[in-house]
Amino acid sequence: MKRPIAFSGWLLLLPWIAIFLVFWFFPLIYSFILSLTNYRLLAADTQWVGWANYARLLADPDFLISLANTAIFVVGTVPVTTVISLGLALLVNGRFPGRAIFRAAYFLPSITAMVVIALIFSNLYARDGYLYLLARLIGLNPPAEGFLLSEKTALLSIMAMDVWTAAGYYMLVFLGGLQTIPDELYDAARIAGASRWQQFWHVTLPMLRPVMLFVIVINSIKSFQVFVEIFVMTKGGPLNATLTGVYFVYETGLRRFDFGYASAAAYVIFLIIALISIVQFKFLKTGWTA
Amino acid sequence: MGFFAGVLAGLLCLSCGGKQPQQTKLVWWQFWTDTAIKPTVQEIVRDFETQHPGVAVELVDLTWADGHDKISIAFSSGTGPDVIELGSDWVPEYSSTGHLLDLTASADSVKPNFFMWKPGQYEGKTYAFPWILGTRVLFVNPSLLTRAGYPAEFVPGNWDELLEASKKINDLDGNAFGFGCNAAERHRLYKKFLPFLWANGGDILSPDGKTCLLGSVQAIAALEYYLKLCHTGLTDTQRRLEDAFLEGKIGFIISGDWLLKRLAAEKPDFPFVTAVIPGPNGPGASFAGGEYLAVNAKSAHSQLALELIRHLCLPENQLRFCLQNRSANPSSRKAAADSALLAQPHFDTFIKQLASSKTPPVHPQWVYIEDKLEKGIEAALYEVKTPQQAFTDAAREIQELLDQ
Amino acid sequence: MNPIKRIGGYVLLTALLVVMVFPLVWMFVTSFTGTRGGVTLANYVYIFSTNKFGLYLFNSTLVAVIVTVANVLFCFTCGYALARRMVPGGNFWFYTILIVLMVPVHIVIIPVYLLMNKIGLYDSYGALILPWLVNPIGIFMVRQYVSTLPVSLEEAGRIDGAGELRILFRIVMPLCRPVLAILAIQVFMTNWNSFLYPFILTSSEQYRTLPVALALLLGYQSIDWPQLMAGSVVAVVPVLAVFLAFQRQIISGITAGALKQ
Repeated sequence: MKRPIAFSGWLLLLPWIAIFLVFWFFPLIYSFILSLTNYRLLAADTQWVGWANYARLLADPDFLISLANTAIFVVGTVPVTTVISLGLALLVNGRFPGRAIFRAAYFLPSITAMVVIALIFSNLYARDGYLYLLARLIGLNPPAEGFLLSEKTALLSIMAMDVWTAAGYYMLVFLGGLQTIPDELYDAARIAGASRWQQFWHVTLPMLRPVMLFVIVINSIKSFQVFVEIFVMTKGGPLNATLTGVYFVYETGLRRFDFGYASAAAYVIFLIIALISIVQFKFLKTGWTA
Repeated sequence: MGFFAGVLAGLLCLSCGGKQPQQTKLVWWQFWTDTAIKPTVQEIVRDFETQHPGVAVELVDLTWADGHDKISIAFSSGTGPDVIELGSDWVPEYSSTGHLLDLTASADSVKPNFFMWKPGQYEGKTYAFPWILGTRVLFVNPSLLTRAGYPAEFVPGNWDELLEASKKINDLDGNAFGFGCNAAERHRLYKKFLPFLWANGGDILSPDGKTCLLGSVQAIAALEYYLKLCHTGLTDTQRRLEDAFLEGKIGFIISGDWLLKRLAAEKPDFPFVTAVIPGPNGPGASFAGGEYLAVNAKSAHSQLALELIRHLCLPENQLRFCLQNRSANPSSRKAAADSALLAQPHFDTFIKQLASSKTPPVHPQWVYIEDKLEKGIEAALYEVKTPQQAFTDAAREIQELLDQ
Repeated sequence: MNPIKRIGGYVLLTALLVVMVFPLVWMFVTSFTGTRGGVTLANYVYIFSTNKFGLYLFNSTLVAVIVTVANVLFCFTCGYALARRMVPGGNFWFYTILIVLMVPVHIVIIPVYLLMNKIGLYDSYGALILPWLVNPIGIFMVRQYVSTLPVSLEEAGRIDGAGELRILFRIVMPLCRPVLAILAIQVFMTNWNSFLYPFILTSSEQYRTLPVALALLLGYQSIDWPQLMAGSVVAVVPVLAVFLAFQRQIISGITAGALKQ
């Protein structure tokens, strides 16, 4: 009886085993091997170069800028998205007529393809686009060439767009968290004379910690990989202002076919993401349960 | 057993006998997919097939979005077509890595008949034939010039006149701009600047390709002038600049023959003038690129492939193509001098401009050199660095690449 | 709540609604705008006749449907096998799922690109479909769900003499319908919108999906904004339809998904 079960178990799991080995495990190893070579698409002679690609990365201003931009992107968007999406969740959490419509509307950007969003905002941000005209109308002084063609505003504009896109999704995640908080806790707080603000601070927020951990970690990992927006809107320019890590990997690896160098860059970014995820887990878990 | 073998052999023979008479298949990867021009390309190819019985040419369509990838992958895996159409800036990448057939012998005999061999050459050898070229000229809006107080037929003839006219138009009102200046747009910005660099006697590399010349006085002066021009106009992407030109908002932009096509399709009555891009003291230089034809080094039918290239490059075939496609710059000198072509509105400007047009240097590291050059111009355009500083830095970085 | 506060609340909610939907409304409106103003369908006619949006729509649909069906089937079998500990070292395989969830795509894309070239699948439907036949999040969802189901039903089936396959597909699968529905919707929407893999693993028009086509069209001389927006609407409407049809499942899927972490 045992043996046929084990056999069918392997059979049932086979799709994952195959996909995992071919499309995740092998690439992860192969990518590291590539990063130690000077493999290029059209050149015939591929050699081991040891850690030379990694050394070259540390001296490549473009790569360092791409890391800095990625850091700005993550640090700038993740907290803002978290706060805004929590705010939206609190707004639509109550029972009031029409709340389904508001929830659906806020969620809409997150089901829209990033390519489409990037196209729309490319127009809205341009010199004669509506967002640009709006900025002028309310007395801001937007750059003459449009938001995306100025090195001062390009990255910021893409970050704002990203917050707009992601807020609705994380709103729903927070909403799920809010709905698991038992009413008795609020009742108890009210009896103890807590104001609404105190209730939020001492009941809602602590109860939302696991959800918040999820939101921050997932959003950070996603933000580290920002690519489509850059590809469609700015191609890394102007003046490298929007050159991000993954865009750097794409350009060196798949535009210039410098596979060894690009793989090394990919690995460095991977290690940074892994490190930060671990730190986030540690910090948020221990910091909160204490 | 023997009986079966005999039957089997018979069957095999039958199946191969079906293909007689033996045909040679020649594969050509090309980029003309538009329904307005593809039939003409097919007709020209059909003529070739008629002249070469037993040869069938298979056209495989590429687009500018996927072409570079496909060609690179095919070469790297040792496959690919017999004949390939290449963008002029792609040729060095493949010729320097040995993927293209050396066509020097056959090219040398027809050299005087064509413009612009340089992009097809590498280290003294020729790897690609120039086919359909394209240069950029100055598009002028005469109504804005008149409003700015110029006589009806005025066209700026040198740098000072261009700058002054641009300034006057720009000062008209908030909806009129002088010069259309390309913002940071990858692979476009440098093409707009190079005419000014060359007209001022500057260059990117020395003729031997060993020294970067961007730090020279001429180069820096050209950049300074270009920035002054930009300050008397609108900075945006090429596409948006052309939109603004069509709306009558821009006095001058530099563009190619595609804009002629667009103007004819969208605003046939729009009044505009084309002129040779001015230099410091008279007619100046321009940037040219184009389509080149090469043979795969691994082609089994290299002689026929070369024949096909020669056929495509014949003056009469280029003429057929250019008239149908509204392309102003055939590579054949004879085609360029044809009265039918010169009779097309504005084509004479393009043909005249081609004579003073240059192409970027042929260098295996070009993609990186281009990047440094473009970022240098960007840095000055966005006022992060002075022109002097921007080009001194770019020259140093490019020199490092060259010295590697 | 007093009426002033209530009205204030609605004003805030509505202002936010405008901010969130304005860009999408702009897309719809622009797609119906003619070159000289006015309402027109010309942009749609253009993208389907002169441009090949019919083909891109077909490709996107074909790939998304195949990938969705495959994921429902395979995530179910894999999730079930893990939940019922049918494989020795089951924990190891469970961890591979968690690890893959953390691996950024950019690090595997170059080897996958080279691999696809090597096995001749670069620029084919295979390249669009194969890597996504089964996905870790889906397996995880099914595993968690099956773990909450009592084993007694399966044992009852065994006692009745039903084969393993019959038990799997006739008894367990129907019970998993809620989780499989959420899974199907999520996979469909993610795949429909995906850009990076299709963009890098294909190159010709023949295998181009809608997002790739749209990204490549920007900056072309032969297309203008209204046409581009018409193409965007074509890319958005199917997902919007799925969302409107399954709103409740999608929203509860996301809220429930978060709680399990």
